[in-house]
Amino acid sequence: MNFDAADTIYIALAFYVLGTLTVLISLIGKSMRLQHAALVIMIAGFGVHTMWIGTICARTGHPPITNLPETAAFLSWTIFAVELALWIRYRVYAAAFFVYPLVLLLLVVTAVVGEPFAGLPPELRSTLFTSHILLTILGVAGLMIGLAFTVLANAQDQALRSKQRGRLWEWIPSLNVCKVLSYRSLAIGFSVYTIGLITGVMWSYRTNAGPMDLRVKQIGAVVAWMFFAALLQTYINGGYRGRRTILISAGAFVAIIISILGIARV
Amino acid sequence: MALILIGLNHRTAPVQVRERLNVPEPKLPEVVRSLHEIDGVDGAALVSTCNRVEAIVSSRTEDVITKVVDWLAVQGGSDRESLENHLYILRHVDVVKHLCRVASGLDSMIIGEPQIGGQVRSAFQAAQDLGALDGLLQQVYSQTMRVAKRVRTDTAIGEHAVSIPYAAVELAKKIFGDLKGLQVLLLGAGEMGELTAEHLHKQSVKQVFVANRSYNRAVELAERFHGSAVQFDSIEENLATCDIVIASTSAPHYVIEPDQVQRALEARRNRNLFLIDLSVPRNINPDVAGIEGAYLYNVDDLQHVADANLELRQHKARDAEQIVVREVEDFRRRLVAQDAVPTIVELQQRLEVIRAAELEKCLRKLGPITAEQRSAIDLLTTQMVNKILHYPILELRDGAEEPQERESLRKTIRKIFGLAK
Repeated sequence: MNFDAADTIYIALAFYVLGTLTVLISLIGKSMRLQHAALVIMIAGFGVHTMWIGTICARTGHPPITNLPETAAFLSWTIFAVELALWIRYRVYAAAFFVYPLVLLLLVVTAVVGEPFAGLPPELRSTLFTSHILLTILGVAGLMIGLAFTVLANAQDQALRSKQRGRLWEWIPSLNVCKVLSYRSLAIGFSVYTIGLITGVMWSYRTNAGPMDLRVKQIGAVVAWMFFAALLQTYINGGYRGRRTILISAGAFVAIIISILGIARV
Repeated sequence: MALILIGLNHRTAPVQVRERLNVPEPKLPEVVRSLHEIDGVDGAALVSTCNRVEAIVSSRTEDVITKVVDWLAVQGGSDRESLENHLYILRHVDVVKHLCRVASGLDSMIIGEPQIGGQVRSAFQAAQDLGALDGLLQQVYSQTMRVAKRVRTDTAIGEHAVSIPYAAVELAKKIFGDLKGLQVLLLGAGEMGELTAEHLHKQSVKQVFVANRSYNRAVELAERFHGSAVQFDSIEENLATCDIVIASTSAPHYVIEPDQVQRALEARRNRNLFLIDLSVPRNINPDVAGIEGAYLYNVDDLQHVADANLELRQHKARDAEQIVVREVEDFRRRLVAQDAVPTIVELQQRLEVIRAAELEKCLRKLGPITAEQRSAIDLLTTQMVNKILHYPILELRDGAEEPQERESLRKTIRKIFGLAK
């Protein structure tokens, strides 16, 4: 049986499955050691995942951004990279319970749809197009991390208010840290995402002689942008707590996922 | 080599017995020296805290036990018989296990308390500085501190506050993270409030403001925390600037109302406010708890936090006990293997000498043989010797639990194989 470098994605997926299961078991067993083990497994998966991305770049001459499986894999990689950077800086353990399953979910999309290594048609080979995809993905990664910390901030607020420790009590950092991290991630993610969308519109205008098509991907992206704008506005007004924030966050998450799944092919 | 621990603690002896034996830190070197000078004692250390006094000695025989008990009786100025009722005597691996539990806080009055680890370290360090630790006690010392560190790192047993003031500090950290740069307002001069403010002050908060009906008393208290006294009527202004408010007055009514907190939070641009009501009757209207951004805890809430933490520590103590058991077993195996090494080496040398001599005799009788034949005979005899030695070596390494048993086994094997005693 011939092993192709492209198959390393399945090895990364296996690591992510194992890492996600381990982190969920650590939540049930409240075991810090298992949390650490999960992190190590996920980092191993991330390493293999990085190799896979490097392989795509080497073979096609551009980042993996041409279709749904590639974009999902690249987004998954970026989200974990941001999570890892935040873990190194703040040692936030609880975010793993949200981020690892999300990283896994996105890579499952890649594995199930399974048509990576698409060549980019020559007419799409432009700096504007590459910038659009990269900025959008980076923005979405920041926004996803922001959503995870919004959920954590709300969980912490609820625990402090009800005076009942939830299962996450020991894993979540201070309310202040959750608030600051969610706000920063949302603010940076939103700015980058907005620039990504604008470059997308510009690129679409240039290639289609019109602002953009209105397909699931585009509608989802704009709806998600509106949800995130509302969420950021809530933060700026100081009201990150409560049902309204959670509903907006859920709406933003669903819209983003629909938008990602709408990427059939550029 | 015998390892022995003789001591008493808060469970076996009342305070009037413990206080007589307690050794203040400046006197510790002198007392350890006198313990080390007891005839037959090779290594000595003494752990003395308000809850325990324990003498740890290593010796060639267990005969020193009587002498150490006599020594303790002299130190405590009591007769041997009455002291013996409170003493426990531990031997060998039980000593290591006990010390690991003590240093990890598992044997403390408040499970997981962090100070005891430092006290055990100081006790052994003092003995080491005097040259009173022999090789065995050196190993026990490093093993004890290693296990204590692992227990604290792996289980975080000491991280949860079990008193009301510490519970308040812990909650403040859960809200604000780092407490540096925060401002604290202390209302009233209640004892619990003072204690809580003191703990917060130790966390390097930026400033402590004190408000009291008697301004002079407020000034006095503020000086203690290097803070500032404020007029009791200006509470609302301070609510807007302070992040943590401790109410501990004797007022029979509420001194902080929801509308004051609401206005303060607006002025604070929605930065959180932590309110701690330690007064009975309560000083902060409980409706404040419903305001977004305000976190109100009264004395019962804090007690519940402390109780829950105690329960958590007990739960973590079970994990810690397992760590101790595993680590002590590993240590025991290392010690036994270490003890057995000289005999094993001698045994191997002895049999190798016999094998080489017999092989030489045999080769002389056989006459000329090929190199392959010689090599085959050599291999055969080597394998026979190894197989003969296999079980004696295994027994020497793992065969006996107790040191006396091990010593007896070692002597028997030496006798059987004709090794020097």
